[in-house]
Amino acid sequence: MGKIISTLITVVVAVGFSAAIWVGANLVFNQARYHWARFNGLVFGVGGFLLGVLLSGNRLTIGSEGETLGGFLNWVWLPLVLAAVFAVLGVALTRTDDDRQRLIIAIATGAVVGVGLGLLIQDQYLPSFSPIGLIGWTVAGVAIGGGLALARKKPPLNGVLVWGALFFIIGAWGTADLGAGSTVEAVIGTLVPALALGVRLGLTDNPELHTRTIIDQKSRAVIFLGPALLFIFITLLVPTVRTIYLSLLDNRSEEFVAFENYVTTFQDRGSWDASGFSNFFTSQLFWIGVVLLGIGVVLGIAQKQRTGKAVELGGASLGPLVVAGVLLAFALFTTLRGTIVNNLWWVVAVTLFSTVLGLAVAVLADKAKGEKIAKSIIFMPMAISMVGASIIWRFMYASRDISGEQTGVLNALWVGLGRLSTGSGIPTLIVTIVLGLILLGLAYMVAMALTKQNVGRAVVPGVAFLLIGWFFVRFAGIVGGGVGGFRVTADGQTVARTIDFITDSPYNNFWLMVILIWIQTGFAMVILSAAIKAVPEEYLEAARVDGATQSQIFWRIVLPQIGTTIGVVVTTLIVVVMKVYDIVKVVTNGQFGTQVLANDMFNQAFAFGNTGRGAALAVLIFVSVLPVMYLNIRRMQKEA
Amino acid sequence: MTSTGTTPVLTDPGDVHPDAAMGDDGGKKGGVGDRIYGLLRAIPPGVLWLLVLVWSIPTLGLFVNSFRDRSSQRSSGWWTSLASPEQFTLDNYEVVLGASASAGLVDSLLNSFAIAIPATIIPIAMAAFAAYAFAWIDFKGRKWLFIGTVALLAVPLQVALIPLLQLFSGGAHWTIPGLDRTITFIADFDLAGNTTAVWLTHAGFAMPFAIFLLHNYISGLPKDLFEAARIDGADHFTVFWRLVLPLSIPVLAAFAIFQFLWTWNDFLIANTMVGSNPNAIPTTIRIANLAGDFGRNEHLLPAAAFVQSFVPIVVFFALQRYFVRGILAGSVKG
Repeated sequence: MGKIISTLITVVVAVGFSAAIWVGANLVFNQARYHWARFNGLVFGVGGFLLGVLLSGNRLTIGSEGETLGGFLNWVWLPLVLAAVFAVLGVALTRTDDDRQRLIIAIATGAVVGVGLGLLIQDQYLPSFSPIGLIGWTVAGVAIGGGLALARKKPPLNGVLVWGALFFIIGAWGTADLGAGSTVEAVIGTLVPALALGVRLGLTDNPELHTRTIIDQKSRAVIFLGPALLFIFITLLVPTVRTIYLSLLDNRSEEFVAFENYVTTFQDRGSWDASGFSNFFTSQLFWIGVVLLGIGVVLGIAQKQRTGKAVELGGASLGPLVVAGVLLAFALFTTLRGTIVNNLWWVVAVTLFSTVLGLAVAVLADKAKGEKIAKSIIFMPMAISMVGASIIWRFMYASRDISGEQTGVLNALWVGLGRLSTGSGIPTLIVTIVLGLILLGLAYMVAMALTKQNVGRAVVPGVAFLLIGWFFVRFAGIVGGGVGGFRVTADGQTVARTIDFITDSPYNNFWLMVILIWIQTGFAMVILSAAIKAVPEEYLEAARVDGATQSQIFWRIVLPQIGTTIGVVVTTLIVVVMKVYDIVKVVTNGQFGTQVLANDMFNQAFAFGNTGRGAALAVLIFVSVLPVMYLNIRRMQKEA
Repeated sequence: MTSTGTTPVLTDPGDVHPDAAMGDDGGKKGGVGDRIYGLLRAIPPGVLWLLVLVWSIPTLGLFVNSFRDRSSQRSSGWWTSLASPEQFTLDNYEVVLGASASAGLVDSLLNSFAIAIPATIIPIAMAAFAAYAFAWIDFKGRKWLFIGTVALLAVPLQVALIPLLQLFSGGAHWTIPGLDRTITFIADFDLAGNTTAVWLTHAGFAMPFAIFLLHNYISGLPKDLFEAARIDGADHFTVFWRLVLPLSIPVLAAFAIFQFLWTWNDFLIANTMVGSNPNAIPTTIRIANLAGDFGRNEHLLPAAAFVQSFVPIVVFFALQRYFVRGILAGSVKG
């Protein structure tokens, strides 16, 4: 119950506070045009309050520490008093039009405030002036103020007073030996600048109605933008700059080490490990990729003779080449290891699969029966948290001891397949026969296409024939003793093994990526579906009239039309994937060779206390998404 | 649909057929080819619904598991109990929604609300004013200030985390170079480990995106409207309050939904700011912690994950249109 109430209070206070600041500020500036005195009083009051906060907030004045007044009041009394004094000054100045009286009022207030503050300074801050510092800074301030005013062709007195006062404060308090001085010196340190600023205020005339109108107008921009920009400044701009700065310091942020953090990051075996590279050329993926590459090249050459282009959208050579590229990339990612390699792998795999699958669903669902339901279900994972998705997939990937039942869907299928493959019952027979029939059908299609000299048409069934044929060979136990969780070894023993999706490196990385693909496919689908629906109906109509097939329409008309949108999806996904954190954190916390930059950054900065290293990793993420974000924002600006 | 009758493939636009003829002839007349072709026509919808099935199985499995007790979850797959629904129990939900200190979710649900609501409302309020100013108030440097604000979209939140945590746990201080004097700008309010730190961070990070999104919309409102209002003597505040705000409801809703789900589902910021304080953690961290309990509470995870996802799923199905809009626009958020 108490928790509910405190939650409610948090919410109400937060909302009320932001509303109050905003409406309050608007009301203040509403006074500017016709109620100048009120406006001035409010502005001066706020200024005084801020000065007080700076002084007592830094615990410079008597009473700001300790518990004499109790809690909050200990330090807030000074800001309140200063606010009141300044507000009175503001109103008084507005109400007085006589120049001499204005000067007297301002100087008197300056004297009171100056002496008062000087007396309030705590003992340990009483300054013992360093004459050279004091005079040096003051002279510098006077020179700057005068110089600036002369440069702008204005009388120098105002500038001299303001800049002189500010630099006097620096000279008096910044260069002095604090705590060694006397109250007299403290009073001098506050009185002189207070008097100077008082004179400056007293010399200024009250503004005309015209000027006040301008102030009213201009202040609106400040009021409307102020809160948002202040927020951005504090939570985004300053921290970003500071992170870059911290990344150049050592892990305890004490010494400047230049780029050492970056160098260690790149030299760390954990981030970049090329020791397994020799396995690249012996890996299965590599050889399948090379074979496909060869097929693609052959098809490309054949196609070039016919159409003049070796690679084109919807052409026969495109598929094998793309798949070959992906397989070779995966072969590379599984042999090179480390955080940076993992991140690259994530970017390639998730972006590619999400976009392709999303496009496939968008095309397949377009104008199909139950389009809405199908799309909703594919899109739903976008709504739940990545933590939730990780939990969901942990259960999919569950792996139990082979003696009992499997509770994870994937291992249950895997083990079931193994039983089927190594078994000798009727189900095994049925699967074998069905597979055989499918193979015969595919072979027939290939043969028909080839007799008609239509190579392009033979590609899809041909590839399907090869894949299913390979599976058939394995399933029947002709090579490798069966597929799935059960195998028959050469000496006739049956061995059983589940897949450890989460711990088996390096492919566990891919199983983690599947989670994000599962989430992001819906995103790609929604955006691409909208783009497909926006392709003008006339184009499709014209193509149909000319006798184009559905696949020709897709490859030659729809795909080029949605090219920009695909670019949007790809860039967006790259940024999302570069920052992937939740999934890795929840499922493996970077163990078993699954570390990624964002998780490494979190661990370095917040778990190991290596601030410099963590900051360097953050900057690395920043730099790597920068070009992509640049493109994205440029595009959004063009659209706007 | 018009058809010139060249091939039967072309008459039906619903017949999407990626495998269909690459070449020029699609004319198959009778015989085995036709029958195989008829079978092939069933492939695209088949593939679609197969994908839908694959996509829903993980969630479905978790949902079913959330109603099964510990021993059946550990000894058999969730699909086996579809045949015997009498096994289903609400025990897991009772524990998760109960007062259990080790597995209860109620406190963290409240924390999630305490984070997500301010983190949604405050950026809306501030960004709406800012977007209005960027769109309709003339001042010097408006264009550059706006570009600068939008450019900050590019900052990934990792970059700001370390200094922000330092700010919340120790305030902001500056040592003047050369003088060896430190000034405190923001006092140490001891916000680390407090939900306030989380929503403040969210609010700050949402600001460029919110300004950008709302500006796109507000700057597109008809100019005549504003001129008429100005002639009638309305000041900016009135124009904003009476005119812009009511007209911007759709985009405000889109942003609100996007931001609410974003903050509700966030793990990184919450883990950084309050990860070490068990009293302030939101549901995402609570569940992640449950998952890390070495399997002791593993049987509660499905129910817990569903309770956590309940709010977003309701929002998703009830407000899908706005949700899609927010997601589309949110693609640039850093």
